[in-house]
Amino acid sequence: MTMKYINLFFLMIIILITSCKSEIDDFDATAGSADFTTYLAFGNSLTAGYSSGALSSSGQKYSYPSILAQQFKKVGMQGEFKQPMMPTENGVGLRFSSSGFVFNTRYILGYKQDCLGQVSLSAVSSDPNASQADLQAQLFNSVADDGPFNNVGVPGLKSTDAISPISLFNPFYARFKSENSNYVLDEVSIINPSFFTLWLGSNDVLLYALTGGTGDDITDVGDYSTAMDSVVNRLTKNGAKGAIANIPEITSIPVFTTVPYNALVLTDQNTVDALNAGYAVYNATMEGLGLDYRINFTIGPNALVISDTTMPVPGVLAFRQIKSSELLILSLPQDSIKCAFWGSMIAIPKQYTLIESQIETINQAISGYNNKISEIANLYSLALVDMNTYLTKFETGMVFDGMEFNTKYVTGGLFGLGGDHLNPRGYAVIANHFIDAINRKFSANIPQVNLSDFQGTHFP
Amino acid sequence: MDITPIPRYLKNYYLASFFNIKFMPMKKFIGLFLVLLIITVSAMAGGYQVRLQGQKQTGIGLIGTPFKFGASSIFYNPGALSMMESKYSFSLGVSPIFSTAFFQKSGSDYQAQTDNATGTPFYFYGAAKVSDKLAVGLGIYTPYGSSTTWDDDWAGQMLIQNIVLQSVYFQPTLSYQINEKLGIGAGFTYVTGNVDLNKALPYNDNSEANLEGSTSNYGYNIGVFFQANEKLSLGVDYRSKVMMEIEDGDATFIVPASLSTSIPATNKFNAELPLPANLDFGLAYQLNEKLMLAAEVNWVMWGTYDSLTFTFKESGDLLNSSSPRGYKDSWIVRIGAEYKLNEKIIIRAGGYYDPAPTNELYFNPETISLNTIVYTLGLTYKPTEKLCVDLSYIQTFGLEAEKSYEPENFSGKYKAQSYIPGIGITYSF
Repeated sequence: MTMKYINLFFLMIIILITSCKSEIDDFDATAGSADFTTYLAFGNSLTAGYSSGALSSSGQKYSYPSILAQQFKKVGMQGEFKQPMMPTENGVGLRFSSSGFVFNTRYILGYKQDCLGQVSLSAVSSDPNASQADLQAQLFNSVADDGPFNNVGVPGLKSTDAISPISLFNPFYARFKSENSNYVLDEVSIINPSFFTLWLGSNDVLLYALTGGTGDDITDVGDYSTAMDSVVNRLTKNGAKGAIANIPEITSIPVFTTVPYNALVLTDQNTVDALNAGYAVYNATMEGLGLDYRINFTIGPNALVISDTTMPVPGVLAFRQIKSSELLILSLPQDSIKCAFWGSMIAIPKQYTLIESQIETINQAISGYNNKISEIANLYSLALVDMNTYLTKFETGMVFDGMEFNTKYVTGGLFGLGGDHLNPRGYAVIANHFIDAINRKFSANIPQVNLSDFQGTHFP
Repeated sequence: MDITPIPRYLKNYYLASFFNIKFMPMKKFIGLFLVLLIITVSAMAGGYQVRLQGQKQTGIGLIGTPFKFGASSIFYNPGALSMMESKYSFSLGVSPIFSTAFFQKSGSDYQAQTDNATGTPFYFYGAAKVSDKLAVGLGIYTPYGSSTTWDDDWAGQMLIQNIVLQSVYFQPTLSYQINEKLGIGAGFTYVTGNVDLNKALPYNDNSEANLEGSTSNYGYNIGVFFQANEKLSLGVDYRSKVMMEIEDGDATFIVPASLSTSIPATNKFNAELPLPANLDFGLAYQLNEKLMLAAEVNWVMWGTYDSLTFTFKESGDLLNSSSPRGYKDSWIVRIGAEYKLNEKIIIRAGGYYDPAPTNELYFNPETISLNTIVYTLGLTYKPTEKLCVDLSYIQTFGLEAEKSYEPENFSGKYKAQSYIPGIGITYSF
């Protein structure tokens, strides 16, 4: 009798243990009023997944469209999201230099010795042995046979290029161009999307800005508007819905904010005196001309001497110390400051600087583009992804899941080592911001991605 | 230490009894107890408090103050110890905790669940009446502890990967019977505790910090027991706060080589963690010869847990952290009943609602403490007049809720559950 009660007690417990299962209900992913069956991404290098100075298979894997496509699959996207993949993990990048175009591989963090023999953490090539010919062959190798592609992100693409055969001269487009396309925008009709994302316009100012205004012109806001009208017309032709992102303030990205205006650090009074003596004639001349320009050095950090052809003086005098509000570009060879008297005895060439008037012109253009983008978003009922406001939040810093993000080079966790594109985790942040805007606009419920699943800056 | 054999051992024990096989010999059981003494870990609702300190009390909704259950009064109410009916009483037991917490990230389909080690809060009490009025006793028990293990690469890895918090209380106790109705008692508590936690660092995939430290401190436990009449008894008990102050704990940092100059691989840290005070008030009413009803209110003074601060000996500028917890005091209301089936079997049941002391904005996944509903079951078998075998089973349901840890911008839905079978014996003579 007694044992029966005890056995009953155990039986009850066994039943209770086995019957209890309490998990959280699954996320209810819904498409809202949008149709994600066929997704196409249109844009430039940011859309292509360019990262750490190159387009590489390792970067493309984490392009924001690729991340978005993974999430769109949960709300009805069909088939594979195809990207024109580069053949290698180290990829190929293309940059301007005084000697023309130079190919490079993706950058990684490594150690570099400067001209003073000091070793520090720097961006170094992920494959120093890759030859220019190899890299060129990689980039020029066509992958069009693997298409058509859902990711029509073309590094270097400006809004005006999208509707012009000039895009055929862009090797990043030439490598995946469809047979029936005359230029980039034609790729849209081949995929015929039901949903698209569009982020285009950064290069319309960036190619100018990255070269200190020497390599390209800023696209006129009127031309930008015309081009964008054509692009959106084509994208929405068959009733597709979509999201359009606006242009962030490019002058707040690390490629322009890493080298400080006062990067010339002087520690020796003799040097200071010698420099000041050397500029005595300059200062006297400026005074004589009734101009405020003065060059003066002290112990500690000093504003660099830069070339400025906008000054109302003869060419031989067209240099001055940079203002704290002006910017130096990351491409500036810093060894030249340390060992070749750049910024002290030799004015820094203008392809490495953005002066106040240039910054103002850039910002005016961006603001004009963004007005157009807002107008388009309204007119075509697109989700507006406000990247401009979003990036300003990262200037002071944002925290997600215990990870800090800001716009600082390397340590900011958002940008790749090129300083102008994002790292995989940064692209995931961007993708989540797209998802936010899409969910709001189309009353959808697309799940965001988990940021710690993506690699940030990798330290050696 | 490998702890997997323990639950399996206990499971065999349950099955053996289910199939009417003889109980485990005493010697073996003591051996088991000693193993458990070394590896005590535990996890339950209500911050990191665990009240599983007596199987009879556990079965009846974890009510303890209004009973004179013998030696286990040392924890629940030292005032009732002097009321014990036999001259000597010994009690020991263990309650393995099988707990799981579930997580669903806000705005995402990301889900995770804990893979917690089995917690094993235990107790041992020995008491003797040195005179008609005076009783002395010693209790060793584990009222605070937690064990939370998330996957190393889970979404909240920067906040916590896993944590084990352990404490053992040693409490010598004196209890005095002022008259037939009124007993008072007090115990001095010596508390040893340790913490071991891992969290990821935002550098590379395998960057992480391990913090490990142990400490000890003192506190007290006082209680009053009042037998108002034959049917009604009341009890009140206060257990003091004990601050676990870790000094020179060991910190180990796994960081990329390029950062090793700013973040040393080994370091020392100081931190403190409160084990909060409790004020319990309970009453029991003997409805008839067979049925007793009881209720209790606990005021758990979690408000003291305001923040968790780590100070490091080296690279303090970079590593020191103070993160808010903002706990608030909680009130737990318990009800329970006991029914005497026959001379050999007593059954018990109870339940309570345990509101989370955690802060909505500072909910850190190191301690998954949610508003929790609990039911309890208990059974005492008395094979002889002197021996009680006490069984209990409780199941906790941490109610699903959206929580966030604002400073780290980490939020999601949490849900938790645990099932806790318990066994103990009491020998009185």
